[in-house]
This record gives sequence, C-alpha cells and structure tokens, in this order.
Amino acid sequence: MSTLIRASELVKLPVVTHGGEDVAQIKDVVYAAHGGQIESFTLAGRGLFAGPLKTALPWGKVTGLGTAAVIIESEDDLVPLAEALATSAHDGPGRGDVLNSQVLTDQGTALGTVSDVVIGILGDPATGQADVVGYEILPAETMNKGKQRLLIPLPDTIAASGEHLIVPASASDYLTDDLAHFGSAVDAFRAQLGEKS
Amino acid sequence: MLFSESTGRKVVSTADASTVGFISGFVVDPARGRVVALTLTKTAGSASMLPFSGIAAFGVDAVTVAGADAVVEPDEKLAELDSKQHTILKKRALTTAGYEVGSVRDVEFDPADGTLVSIQLDEHTWDGKGLVGVGSYAVMLRP
Repeated sequence: MSTLIRASELVKLPVVTHGGEDVAQIKDVVYAAHGGQIESFTLAGRGLFAGPLKTALPWGKVTGLGTAAVIIESEDDLVPLAEALATSAHDGPGRGDVLNSQVLTDQGTALGTVSDVVIGILGDPATGQADVVGYEILPAETMNKGKQRLLIPLPDTIAASGEHLIVPASASDYLTDDLAHFGSAVDAFRAQLGEKS
Repeated sequence: MLFSESTGRKVVSTADASTVGFISGFVVDPARGRVVALTLTKTAGSASMLPFSGIAAFGVDAVTVAGADAVVEPDEKLAELDSKQHTILKKRALTTAGYEVGSVRDVEFDPADGTLVSIQLDEHTWDGKGLVGVGSYAVMLRP
C-alpha cells in the first residue's frame, strides 16, 4: 500500500497540468458502481467566485495524486461532465451516496455510518488504480467507542446500496483509529480474506 | 552559474566595446530544459531581449556579444516565455506526483549553452533535467 488519502482531503485540491497551470479544482469524487473504485472527479473553477465546471476528470488521466495537487498532462485530458457521469450513473444497486450509509456486517451487526472514504493508490498513479481501501466511520452507539471516528478496511469488492454497505464480520477485527497504521491493517485484512477463498 | 549571481552583469559589445545593457532576467524554455534568452535593462533602444545564441561568451565579469544588433525585440515565442506566468523564480514547486517540495530559490545553468544544471529549492536541489513545465500556478518537477 503506497499512499492513503481521505477522499475529503482531495476536495478543493488544485488540478495542475504538467505545464504548471492550475486549470480546476476537485469538487467531488465519483465512485464506480459498488463503491469499490474511483471513476472520475467533478471539477470546479479556481478562485473565489468560480462555479462548477462542465468538465470532469476521468481517473485514468490522473498522472499524479499527492497532498498538494492532482496532476494531469494537459487541459485536453478533461472530458465533458455528462460523458464522465454516463458510465457510472446507471440504475439499480450501487447507485447513491456512499457517505452516511450504514455499515453492516454480514452477521447483521451495525458498525456505524460512513463519514469519509479512504483511497489507496497502489504503485504509480499513472498505471495503478485508485482503490477504495476503507471507510472512516462514525461508530454505532452499540460499539461503545463514543464519537471517535474509526477506520474500517474493505475487501476488494463489497455490496453497497444507497442505504447499506455489507462488509465481512471479520472486518471489525481490523478497526483502527490511525491512518498511518491503516495501510498494514488493509493488507492484513485482505491477506486473510485471500487465505479463506 | 546561478541566476542570482549573474543578474545585473553587464553585456558588452566586442565590436565597439560599449555596454549594451545589464542582465535583468532569464527566459527559460522548460520543453528544452535551457535558458533561451536573457532580458536586459538600460539598453539603447526598445529592444531588450538577447537570445542565448547571440552571446559570444558568458564571462565571469561580463557577457560579450558581437555587436549591439544581437539585442532584439522578442519574437512571439520568447515574449510568451518571458511573461510573468512563466517566470520560474520564487514560484512554488510541485512534483508530477502531486507533492509540494518548496519554492524555487535559484537556478544553476551552464553558461556555455544555457542548459539548466540544477534548480535550487528551499531545502532541496533538483536536477535541471527534471523540469517539466512552468505555469502560472507552479513549477512542475519530475520526482
């Protein structure tokens, strides 16, 4: 696991070309159906009074993703917004907001509600993919964790609707509150799932 | 040679030994990774751009040119590279991986042909070959 970033930290990051121009900033993250991967970013203009743009940035065009900026080759890499949304916005399960949906284990225990999404970038962003590796959750009252936000690792594929996310019961063993150690928790959790299957 | 130590150096014509002007700035073409021209102040006419090819020698005390006609009006390409948004000094530096690595303090170049040798940031020194682009927002560097 090379880089872990909270999705909320991506919002408002400038989109900078290799030419050093800031052409836009991230407005929101569009997840592929079933919430497992990033599909694209919607964009807003730079500056105080700039509104949303009619273009979007497909994940495949991102060449660098760091704490200071999202890097693309040139402004030509942006695509019309409708085109970017067309591929992900179809009816049926998987559609809807990931945030605030309830996290349930397959045993029927509610772990909490999603407050943020943790994105992991595996290898070089130009060739690698951005995977949703976990969620930050606001724990359910029954967890006796108070208001402290917890990070929960996710398997590669999950079942998600607008209301619920279903995770294996064993995911609750890997809950952590520290993003720095979260990468190893994800790796351990996925390794354990791999052994079972 | 550093941008900072050569700024202000006089430019002398070898034809009549007169001072043509003083170096006020450097025009960098990131695509070629080199200094392509110098901008001069206190020139006789309105022309103030000295293309690197017009330099006879980049000496320690002065830059020599064959004649005052080496100083020209900038063509379209040079004018664009000279515009404020393409200046390199004091601009924030980002890697193409998206991390900020400081701001550009100084640039070292080869006085023989203008090739960029290194880019000096607040705490790092970057290989001059790593320069990808210079825009209004940032100087882009290859990690």
